[in-house]
Amino acid sequence: MTPGWIHPGLVLILGAWLLPLLRGRIKRAAMILLPVAALVLCLVSTPGTHGVVHVLGLDLVFGRVDATSLVFACVFALIACVGMVFALHVEDDSQHIAALTYAGSALGVTFAGDLLTLYVFWEVMAIASTLIIWQRRQPSAIAAGFRYLLVHVVGGLALLAGIVIHWTQTGSLAFGDMGAFSGGLAWSLILVAFLLNAAVPPLGAWLPDAYAEAPVTGAVFMTAFTTKSAVYALIRGFPGTELLVWLGAFMAVYGVVYAVLENDARRLLAYHIISQVGYMVCGVGIGTQLAINGATAHAFAHILYKALLFMGAGAVLQTTGLRKLSEMGGLYKTMPKTLGLYMVGAFAISAVPLFSGFVSKSMVVSAAGETHRAGVFLMLTLASAGTFLHTGLKLPYYMFFGKESDRPQDRRGKEPPANMLVAMALAAVACILIGVFPGLLYRHLPNPVDYVPYTLQHVTGTVGLLGFTALGFFLLLKHLDPAPTISLDTDWFYRRGAAVFVKWIQTPLARLESGTVGEVCEFVIRRPVLGTAHLLRRFDSFVVDSLLVGIGRSIQSSSQVLKTAASGHAQHYGLLMAAGFLALLVLALLA
Amino acid sequence: MSFLERLLKDPVRFARLKRWFYVGLAVVAVAEIALPLVFDAGHPHFSFERFPAWGSIYGLVSCVAIIVVSKLIGKAWLMRREDHYDS
Repeated sequence: MTPGWIHPGLVLILGAWLLPLLRGRIKRAAMILLPVAALVLCLVSTPGTHGVVHVLGLDLVFGRVDATSLVFACVFALIACVGMVFALHVEDDSQHIAALTYAGSALGVTFAGDLLTLYVFWEVMAIASTLIIWQRRQPSAIAAGFRYLLVHVVGGLALLAGIVIHWTQTGSLAFGDMGAFSGGLAWSLILVAFLLNAAVPPLGAWLPDAYAEAPVTGAVFMTAFTTKSAVYALIRGFPGTELLVWLGAFMAVYGVVYAVLENDARRLLAYHIISQVGYMVCGVGIGTQLAINGATAHAFAHILYKALLFMGAGAVLQTTGLRKLSEMGGLYKTMPKTLGLYMVGAFAISAVPLFSGFVSKSMVVSAAGETHRAGVFLMLTLASAGTFLHTGLKLPYYMFFGKESDRPQDRRGKEPPANMLVAMALAAVACILIGVFPGLLYRHLPNPVDYVPYTLQHVTGTVGLLGFTALGFFLLLKHLDPAPTISLDTDWFYRRGAAVFVKWIQTPLARLESGTVGEVCEFVIRRPVLGTAHLLRRFDSFVVDSLLVGIGRSIQSSSQVLKTAASGHAQHYGLLMAAGFLALLVLALLA
Repeated sequence: MSFLERLLKDPVRFARLKRWFYVGLAVVAVAEIALPLVFDAGHPHFSFERFPAWGSIYGLVSCVAIIVVSKLIGKAWLMRREDHYDS
């Protein structure tokens, strides 16, 4: 490592293991100080290449520090701070270790200057986030965790395969713009891996499946890192890829459609992650300076408001035990602070003027306008209306207002612990600060910004769009009542499709097994083996056995002869000696 | 009783709230039409953005389209019982 640069991610990954050794207040201080230290290290990092390690003839770059990596690293570290404050009351070291490792590996991905380093942190991120899901320790969470892990293992393998092919073809592991290799196998595999982590349909069903099952506090970390580090990787590797423009625009609408049908509060929010990441993917695809700035700014703003929304829904889940909108209602009486903070996040994601989404999302939409993509512009604007419809109207309406179902006293809800409210307030303040002073964020974007969000047309247009979306919502309210259903997504293919496939393939597979494979086995393996065994047995019984019997017999007969000679009578021995003596005498006389 | 509870539970206040909501919408739509005529609103990217109260109209159309189309897709195809994957 270069002296003077400490990897903020390693501070989190290694520092996490201190927590089990500490107790009480010191432990809680450490939980906050670790991500704060990482944030400070990010803030003081100077652009350049740091942390180059020579291993097995390779140059691994752990610290590629420039404007793009810094802005992502800062928001990752910032949300790790907020997430740890939110989880401060949780007495479960393994959850904290998993969360800090997850955050640390996301920082590792951000600073990775070569593909191998990227891959290593990419996989650590997948494993750490799976562990977070499992910490909920319920059968549904365990199952969702396994599905999540398997999907990400597939993505990781695609990435590894892509890296190996790219390395073989170019001899370089450097992680930069892959545009020159467009259409190649390595390019496709790496792109698929990135798209899978960015939850681009049809590869994105893992996201609502897993995020709705994660623990209340762990889910806050989950919303931030996996998809946004994938957006970062796309910015690095695939800016200006036309495919991404359309995938992103489709994604933005896709998430909105599913959110209409969704009944689980956190699944609804999860579908809006897909929708929001769609704006970023689209921005990366457009690839102009404004679009890349927009994707980056939107990732930054999104991490903060989405964490805030998940914290709000998580607080409701924790204090009422309710996750379905059809069972909630009337919580504004018992949880007014949570409602207020949630609404800040809702206004931010809906791009209400003076909130963060307004100054970030509009950069991507304007980039679509500047490049004269009317279709994309209309899809993204429609998704904006949909975002406000669900996150700003439907969810708070059914959660905090609406019909109050008859619930026992312990399900009426109460304000969450102070640390959870403080964490939400921190995120809310950040959402408003960015919205009111966009320069704070614009200053740190990868490209110079000459974009003004607060123009007359933009403000009136947005307020009109949102206001009349609200009108549509109240007019169609009775059609929006959440129903206790789930919606099919592409996870059907591995949750149900796989079983159907197995059933369908069973009979032909059995026939193949008993038919072709059986015959081949009979003639190629069984018969020759049996024949050889038979031969060996005959050789054994005829040759080896008779040899042994013969030796035994000859030993027996010679021992009979010896037995006769050794009679045990002294006179016989004396006679033999005398005969021998005589024979020697005759020999001496005659010679 | 909190301010919010009074506002929502009292029918008179609730009706007043509703009225203010509609007034607000009217003001927004009128502002969207009138303000660009008075001030220089900059150059829009597309010609359809010049349509009077474009944002308001597109917002309402989007909202209705999203709800109707999603519900149709959901009812016809995507929505299943909650135990769909358990059985």
